[in-house]
Amino acid sequence: MKNYDILIIGGGPAGISSALAAAKLNLKVALFEEKEILGGQLVKQTHKFFGSKDESAGTRGIYIAQKLINEVNNKDKIDVFLNSMVLGYYEDGVVTALVKEKMEKFKPKKIIIATGAFEKSLPFENNDLPGVFGAGAVQTLMNVYGILPGKEILMIGSGNIGLIVSYQLAQVGVKVKGIVEISEKIGGYLVHASKVRRLGIPIYTKHTIVKALGDRKVKGAIIENVETKEKKEISCDVICLATGLMPLSDILNQINCKMKYIPELGGYVPVRDENMKTTVENVFVAGDSSGIEEATAAMLEGELAGLYASYEITNTFDKRINEIKEHLKELRKTSSKVVSGLKKLNLYKDFIVDSQKDLGKLHRTGVPEKEMIENIIPKDSNRFAIMECFQNIPCNPCVASCPTNAISMDSLNGIPKLDEKKCIGCGNCVAVCPGLAIFVVDKKKESVLLPYEFLPVPEKGEMVEIMDREGNFLEKNIVLNVRKMKDKTNLIEVKVSKENINNARHIRVVI
Amino acid sequence: MDEEKIIVCRCEDITLKEIRDLIHEGYTTVEEIKRVSRAGMGPCQGKTCGPIIAREISKITGKPIEEVYKPSNRPPFGGLFFKEIVGESNEE
Repeated sequence: MKNYDILIIGGGPAGISSALAAAKLNLKVALFEEKEILGGQLVKQTHKFFGSKDESAGTRGIYIAQKLINEVNNKDKIDVFLNSMVLGYYEDGVVTALVKEKMEKFKPKKIIIATGAFEKSLPFENNDLPGVFGAGAVQTLMNVYGILPGKEILMIGSGNIGLIVSYQLAQVGVKVKGIVEISEKIGGYLVHASKVRRLGIPIYTKHTIVKALGDRKVKGAIIENVETKEKKEISCDVICLATGLMPLSDILNQINCKMKYIPELGGYVPVRDENMKTTVENVFVAGDSSGIEEATAAMLEGELAGLYASYEITNTFDKRINEIKEHLKELRKTSSKVVSGLKKLNLYKDFIVDSQKDLGKLHRTGVPEKEMIENIIPKDSNRFAIMECFQNIPCNPCVASCPTNAISMDSLNGIPKLDEKKCIGCGNCVAVCPGLAIFVVDKKKESVLLPYEFLPVPEKGEMVEIMDREGNFLEKNIVLNVRKMKDKTNLIEVKVSKENINNARHIRVVI
Repeated sequence: MDEEKIIVCRCEDITLKEIRDLIHEGYTTVEEIKRVSRAGMGPCQGKTCGPIIAREISKITGKPIEEVYKPSNRPPFGGLFFKEIVGESNEE
């Protein structure tokens, strides 16, 4: 039997953050991970994160994972158990786990459950045909093992996962035939939706999948408009389900934590207090297993659980605990769904969420109304940044990137405002924006500077095809400048004729 | 819609038709359906089918999800060989 101060189940962003927090206070930590690598979902997330500049906003998930894993490996207070599945937690405080094909016993003072989430499935005809994938599997195959799931794909679900995975599939050359969304509004962040629309990928709101076609493998799908019942056939060899996650709660159920069914948080979640303490003594929870949210929230919750569990052992209160709670509140300021879920747990009682405006066409299609764009185009300037960022989301890297302080924001969740007199059109904000929502237009030079995350990267002087916000071809023109960036969001400045200058948003290299 | 071609429990190959028939026969909790049909007794332990069956019961009976679906788990959570518990080498 091995003794530890804190035993953490799950080596994703929440679990790692818990381990680091406890190790910082010199406690002895055991970190259990079922898979062969630490990092959880971060190791497949190639997109840049939103959030505050202080909390790795603008950094790609894979790089956050590397940083966290390095930190864990440099701490001798943390024993990492990979390929090790926790099997049970017993009344006498003993945890059993399968370590190197042997069942071992551990006795920690506190345990933190950070087991993450499980993908929800969807019932439709022939949903057992080979070629029907969960989005997690597609991301693992593609981004961890370098294997394409297929050639033509239909995505089900327009939440952030559906949108982001569609974009990643397009990056590796898979044809995304469409994104199907049952509700009338796009579920994920609208900047992600605009990113995929620019590639010419349609989003079918108010639609659902009713049938997978094919005999021995997927050859297509039938989708249906939920209002008119009109059907449409789409050919594809992969159907990817991104229809939501539910907290993974095996251990919580086993030890009789009080659970509550809260749809806003993904299903059954443990009743917990503001320090991530469950109703069972010495048991804490963090990350998606306590309710579905983003990875940034998971890292903060993990750190909070780690620090608070440590406090109960050492009796020294780290003031970072209160700081984290404030950060979490800021992060959740516009997440009405998460906050209404937390209220059902008697948390965030007097917390008021900023109401999200209905953004009309943008919310339904991922493409903003013409007027919305015209309103943000400076009238008296020749070269300026256009920020096609209309939704309140917790994100601010553009503000800090501006050398002339031309970009301002009321709060982390505010909408960026441009002072056209100060903007010099340098393009720094274009490079850092996690939503790829900023462009620099030069009316005199007749050019547009845009972010480009595809291969091959065009050369200066090359002719490329220029596309609008819906992926429609506008014209062919010449690349004026290429800035290759370390974080792989390259900047391309392309010549665009006057009539298309306010609509050119993507380029395609002609091979 | 062909309910016989919709798989609810992937591990035990149980269709939506079988689940709906059982609900109409009077099995109206996820636990009862698990015991008569084996839905949820495979490798994933009901993580895929549990929520879907719960929604079906709720839709048909009008009872809230929390009343018809209360997951319970027992250790060990994963598959385990006896040799991994007792430590005997397996010579095949």
